[in-house]
Amino acid sequence: MNAFEGLAFGFSIALQWQNLLACFTGVLIGTVVGVLPGIGPIGAMALLLPVTYSMTPAGALIMLAGIYYGSMYGGSTTSILLKVPGEVSSVITVLDGYEMARRGRAGAALFVAAVGSFAAGSIGILGLAFLAPVLAASALRFGPPEFFALCILGLLVLSRLTGSSLVRAAVMVALGLGLSTVGMEPMSGVARFTFGSLELSQGLELVPIAIGLFGVAELLSSAHDKLTAERPLKVRFKELLPTRSEWKRSQGPIVRGSIMGFLFGLIPGPTAIIATFSSYALERKLSKHPEEFGHGAIEGVAGPESANNGAAQGAFIPLLALGIPFAPASAMLLTALLIHGAKTGPMLMVESPEIFWGVTSSMYVGNVMLLLLNLPLIGVFVALLRLPMYLISSLVALLCVVGTYAISNSLLDLWVLLLSGVAGYVLRQLKFEPVILLMALALGPILERSFLQSLYLTQGDLADIMTRPIAGTMLVIAAAVLIYPLLQGLVMRWRAAKPLADLKKS
Amino acid sequence: MSHKNLVLVSLLAFGMCSIAEAQTTEFPVRPIRIVVPFAAGGATDVIARVVGQKVSELLGQPVLIDNKAGANGNIGALQVARSVPDGYTILMATSSHAINATLYRKLDYQLTTDFVGLSNLASVPLLLVVNNAVTAKTPTELVTYVKANGDKVNFGSGGTGTAAHLAGEQFNTLAGVRMMHVAYKGGAPAQTDLIGGQIQVMFANLPEVLTQVQAGRLRPLAVTGGTRRANLPSVPTFAEAGFAQVDAKSWFGLFAPAATPAPVIAKLSSAIAKAVADSAVQARLNELGADPIGNQSETFQKFVVQEVERWGVLVQRSGATVD
Repeated sequence: MNAFEGLAFGFSIALQWQNLLACFTGVLIGTVVGVLPGIGPIGAMALLLPVTYSMTPAGALIMLAGIYYGSMYGGSTTSILLKVPGEVSSVITVLDGYEMARRGRAGAALFVAAVGSFAAGSIGILGLAFLAPVLAASALRFGPPEFFALCILGLLVLSRLTGSSLVRAAVMVALGLGLSTVGMEPMSGVARFTFGSLELSQGLELVPIAIGLFGVAELLSSAHDKLTAERPLKVRFKELLPTRSEWKRSQGPIVRGSIMGFLFGLIPGPTAIIATFSSYALERKLSKHPEEFGHGAIEGVAGPESANNGAAQGAFIPLLALGIPFAPASAMLLTALLIHGAKTGPMLMVESPEIFWGVTSSMYVGNVMLLLLNLPLIGVFVALLRLPMYLISSLVALLCVVGTYAISNSLLDLWVLLLSGVAGYVLRQLKFEPVILLMALALGPILERSFLQSLYLTQGDLADIMTRPIAGTMLVIAAAVLIYPLLQGLVMRWRAAKPLADLKKS
Repeated sequence: MSHKNLVLVSLLAFGMCSIAEAQTTEFPVRPIRIVVPFAAGGATDVIARVVGQKVSELLGQPVLIDNKAGANGNIGALQVARSVPDGYTILMATSSHAINATLYRKLDYQLTTDFVGLSNLASVPLLLVVNNAVTAKTPTELVTYVKANGDKVNFGSGGTGTAAHLAGEQFNTLAGVRMMHVAYKGGAPAQTDLIGGQIQVMFANLPEVLTQVQAGRLRPLAVTGGTRRANLPSVPTFAEAGFAQVDAKSWFGLFAPAATPAPVIAKLSSAIAKAVADSAVQARLNELGADPIGNQSETFQKFVVQEVERWGVLVQRSGATVD
């Protein structure tokens, strides 16, 4: 069955009423889960897995997949409106999304995020249908050394993520990496900085820190800036849609973000996060107005929000084409397949075409549903901002605390939330950018584990890592990025000196 | 009535209520929560869900699966050890917990004394698999291969002190080779790297690699347990391959806090055993590559004590330890 026949067959399954219902339920729950901070798509999928017992394997997967990519749509909502990231993959969106909201452009930001998610979904599905087997095989070449190299590149991108000075960025990176060493050392299991606490031995949970650094810190700041000050969040209804120029500026970032996210999604591990900040950095680099980034540049919303959805779609390829889950969410989907007794593994496409093509096609249906669902909701969400500030603040506080507790019913997480809130407030007063800290904290464990694994694999020989084609190339690029400014400086000096020398000769 | 009396009276009233409840109502009257101390998607999770579904039908109450992953399963175990011992919160523990008993220098719970085993649901053999680029076709050939390749062969596992890790170290000792151990965060990423050729060897839980083996992406060399597997008839057992000492299996059983009332334990234990005996559940477990057990509480309890001892020897020999 070629891709066209496959898609036609898939749509015949996805459009059966039971599966349409399953898809709608999935994306609806996904949207809600995405909007609410804290509880993430994986938790929601685990909760709803028993509901799928009575469904067909294809129907079950259609619904659970809907929760996953649906949550990527909703994740941006609270990031933009309240500066509380709904999911870790929407942290970057607070940078410009919230600034847009403060300037009364919340509607435009939400609109662009929804359209970007849709575009990414569509591009991802095409990739899934046409390129799945090829891409899946190449993703397997990504071992620990490649991961290590990718993380190094990621850290370099991070240090230039925002307009803040290199020194300040480096401090944030170092702090983030430092915090990421809390917990068990990945190879030997030695506990570090845990003070005997079993909970701390698995490391710091990312979401409470994300919610604390932004949501709680924003609450503290607004209290500091006096609640009585004129509310900056006033939005008029006619301003819900992006202007012609905003729309034009978003198109490039959406396309680039979608493709970038899709490619990152193919790589094993939590790469959606790297995709979002890389997209942000890329757009800032390409933009004609880099100075606007951090002050409400629409590109900074369009790119990353497309990237996280692209990554969500890309992550289905290794699962459906190889039967290997690369990320926790796809592991959840694999569980569903196993419980339903479906044959997983590389033969899924041949042995259970109704699952492979049915799910692929349902994603398109689901993305259309999500777009239709999310666009009208923009008005509702933006209307929330008309509430008096004291109500919004209480709402945010409630969301932060409940959302954090919902992750793993842990009191420790609440303390982490509180401390990160205070830390976020202090960092902001000192003009440090907490986004960088958070991203470094997300990268840290992957960096450490992949570095140690690489050392074990090569028996401690770092040169071996350099000779691997993908890892070596990435490390050379990283070195080039570091050395380039130095060389540039030297060349400029040389050029400045040359005319003088020429003059002397003549 | 003074404040003190009020407290006393309400305590009394509460006490009588609970006695009345225990006498008049049958356990269970509300949903039962199975704490699965590993991430959703792993073998433990799938087995708990398959059996839990049937137990729910038998007891007429929903059975909820609560994934509490972290610290090699210790976080979930500790939570259940400290929960109210009423039978409504039970733990899905595995051979990992029997290993943890000696692997961890300090643990805030004891598997053998803080818990009572309800029933062992299933066991899973370990399958020695290699990447297709490895030329060895038997365990003995693997030893030759490892020796010929300057010991530059790595074996992966889902983490330090997992059954896969300890079996690998045991194989190293028995064969006199030194494959390097690479720890991953769970079985799935280790399997990804095994297929991708980053690592060469793995002692994997059979269900986790079965489909990849059947698709020819990984080569099986030998399997633990007394007999060959029906779904892999050409794969010899370790005993047949000359490594009779490698006979570790992973197992998955349900436990309740030790102070749980005996009638509740009896009821849960028999319901679980009945669920495992169900033909549909058996078929599903077999499909997953697991061998259904479903024994009674006393048998299981004795087995757990033996297991803690048995793994303790391997842990000590491997030199692994965790804070």
